[in-house]
Amino acid sequence: MDFSLGEPQRLLVNLARAFLREHCPPELVQQLALDPRGFSDDLWKRMSALGWPGLLVPGSFGGSEGTLLDVVLLVEEMGRACLPSPFIHSSVVATSLIVDAGSRRQQSAFLPSLALGDRLMTLALTEEAAGFHPDDVALKGEPGGRLSGRKLFVKDAHLADHVIVVARGSGGFNLFVIDSGRSGVTLAPMPNISGDKLFEVDLNEVAVTDDDLLGGAGRGWDALAPALRLGALARAAEMVGCAQRALELSVEYAKVRVQSGRPIGSFQAIQHHCADLLRDVEGARSMVHVAAWNVHEAQSGAETFVAMAKAHAGAACLRVARKAHQILGAISYCEEHPLHLFHKRILTAAQDFGDAGVHLETVAQAIGLV
Amino acid sequence: MELGFTADETRFAADVRVFLRANPPETFPVDGMDAGYGSGAVSRAFLRALGERGWIAMTWPHEFGGAAQPFTHKLVLLEELAAAGAPFGPLEGCDQTAESIMHYGSERLRRELLPRIARGDATFWQGFSEPEAGSDLLSLKSEASLDGDDYVIRGHKIWSSHAGVADYGLVLARTRREARRSHGLSMFVVDNRTSGMDIRPIRSMTGGVYHYEVFLDAVRVPKDFLLGREGEGFVQLLRGLDTDRFWGRFYKAPSLKRTLSGLVEYANTTVRHGQPLARDLVIRRRLSELATELEVIRLLFYRTGWMIERGMPTPYESALGKVFADETGQKLAALGMEMLGPYGSLTGDSRWAPLRGEIQHVYQTSLGHTIAGGTSEILRTTIATRGLGLPREARS
Repeated sequence: MDFSLGEPQRLLVNLARAFLREHCPPELVQQLALDPRGFSDDLWKRMSALGWPGLLVPGSFGGSEGTLLDVVLLVEEMGRACLPSPFIHSSVVATSLIVDAGSRRQQSAFLPSLALGDRLMTLALTEEAAGFHPDDVALKGEPGGRLSGRKLFVKDAHLADHVIVVARGSGGFNLFVIDSGRSGVTLAPMPNISGDKLFEVDLNEVAVTDDDLLGGAGRGWDALAPALRLGALARAAEMVGCAQRALELSVEYAKVRVQSGRPIGSFQAIQHHCADLLRDVEGARSMVHVAAWNVHEAQSGAETFVAMAKAHAGAACLRVARKAHQILGAISYCEEHPLHLFHKRILTAAQDFGDAGVHLETVAQAIGLV
Repeated sequence: MELGFTADETRFAADVRVFLRANPPETFPVDGMDAGYGSGAVSRAFLRALGERGWIAMTWPHEFGGAAQPFTHKLVLLEELAAAGAPFGPLEGCDQTAESIMHYGSERLRRELLPRIARGDATFWQGFSEPEAGSDLLSLKSEASLDGDDYVIRGHKIWSSHAGVADYGLVLARTRREARRSHGLSMFVVDNRTSGMDIRPIRSMTGGVYHYEVFLDAVRVPKDFLLGREGEGFVQLLRGLDTDRFWGRFYKAPSLKRTLSGLVEYANTTVRHGQPLARDLVIRRRLSELATELEVIRLLFYRTGWMIERGMPTPYESALGKVFADETGQKLAALGMEMLGPYGSLTGDSRWAPLRGEIQHVYQTSLGHTIAGGTSEILRTTIATRGLGLPREARS
């Protein structure tokens, strides 16, 4: 076994950390969280110039040919900066769908601009049941027909050039890649406490054709499942980054905040809280890495590792966020202190691409529970 | 990053499994109780069988009779033994002691003891804690003084695991009263058969005996049974402490996975309220959460092992792994007791006891784990100060 990062990965992490420190300070995150659009075109252009949106795109389509491990390491750094961006939904989930399930025509049409960051996509899957299980999808749709219904919690729909809509067909699930400006598509924001911009996407008699179909009629869920796993894994990595920053904020503060004549970090009650934070962050990170490695190596059981990584990161990172508030005390209750941004991001990420319940059911079956 | 086993390691794991099938662990006579850490009961016969295969000394250098196998082979061996519930009790302690002897021991100690350890013929207990020196080990009172060619040791040790069924003790005693507390301690290898040794069992709440109390009344130890130099004892202890904690809990994840598998089987075959217990969503979810935690713990230990192998400093990693493993172990045992309901407290002597009565045993022994080898409180302080750089609390 070798737990060390390769040289290119170390470079990527260092570059990302320095870049995000400079271009994504907490003040910007706070400002974008309060802004309805919540997107910095300038920042996205700079990230694109670094080749990040093209990490999962093959070189023949202008991508930078990274690995899944690169992606989780990068996303962890994004989480550490609480970067608001469409990266996970567009550059990881939608892009991997086009790479793995797209026709030659779709790949040529979409991948080069996705890789450059010039095109954004998002996934419209969840509905009122708010779940990531096939049973939770009610919207019906066949190629050559029309879509009428409603998708909820669609991230960054207002930025996306295309929405990948999951619909139930007669012979299985269908995925449609639709221009977000297509007639019959309307968006309504879903105001929420996190900086994530979530939308209700209303579909009113939206015409869909064979050309819109992604991954073959009736085979949509087969194409979707691996992409959902990547989304879950990336969200887990993001949570680890957020929790890492919450840990750093707590420890830095505990070293300098003096009460009763000594730094609060010298009190055992605070020390033991901090030790628990470190345990949760390191445990969750290890699980994300091993899951990414297993998916990358196409190991049997990779699915279980992803489920474990997502379920564990959600629970562990939320524990970190809550305890960080306790360590930092009243100041962390203020809007001007960044902790709440990280906490809220973890809250949203823990739900995205399956909550603990969904992923623990995967684990339950893997350990042999009937 | 490469998180899988090499072909060589996979082959070795298969060898160990073949050995365990040919030598079913439950057929070996047991000489002493297990601690529940995962290392199984004490069985001298089983240890000798491992010795015959050359597995006890496999990672030692050639010059000491070893086979210079890579470090990871030891991880593979311990993981397989723990997963099978094998009685390899004192193995890890033997290996740690052998390492100390190779590092600090006199020629005589090396010549007399290393071959016996390799064969499974010599096992050890640790004589560190005393009645008034627990978490504050430096306040220990046992003393040793040189008299001719022997040291004479007087003292009282307690909580020494396996002392009554082992051959030698590693005894920490004060050789200089006037020195700073940490500078006056020395480490001795003491033969259990020496006159003046009085080793008394401490029956634990489980009804079995794991710990012993040892009285040393003018016990004479040849001076080349001093490990290293006088006054070096505490440094040796600290040097080994991080790795001791590592080895002391490395096999806990595979061992608890074995316990969890038993509970999964129980949940699948037990009908409650008209359906398998496995379908109870609360039980289902908690078992899955704990299975996930065990996977996390296993990974953290493999990562720490990788660091130790590379000679990287591990100031807090083993402490973190130990706290995690011991607390998860307690959660799993508590869940097991809850799942078994009134059957949970039945011992293996009852024909009604599910899972051979093992769950109540795991439950009881797990209570000691967050105390032994550094309490979870002491270790959290270690993690905070050595891992996160938080300021130390002023000490008296």
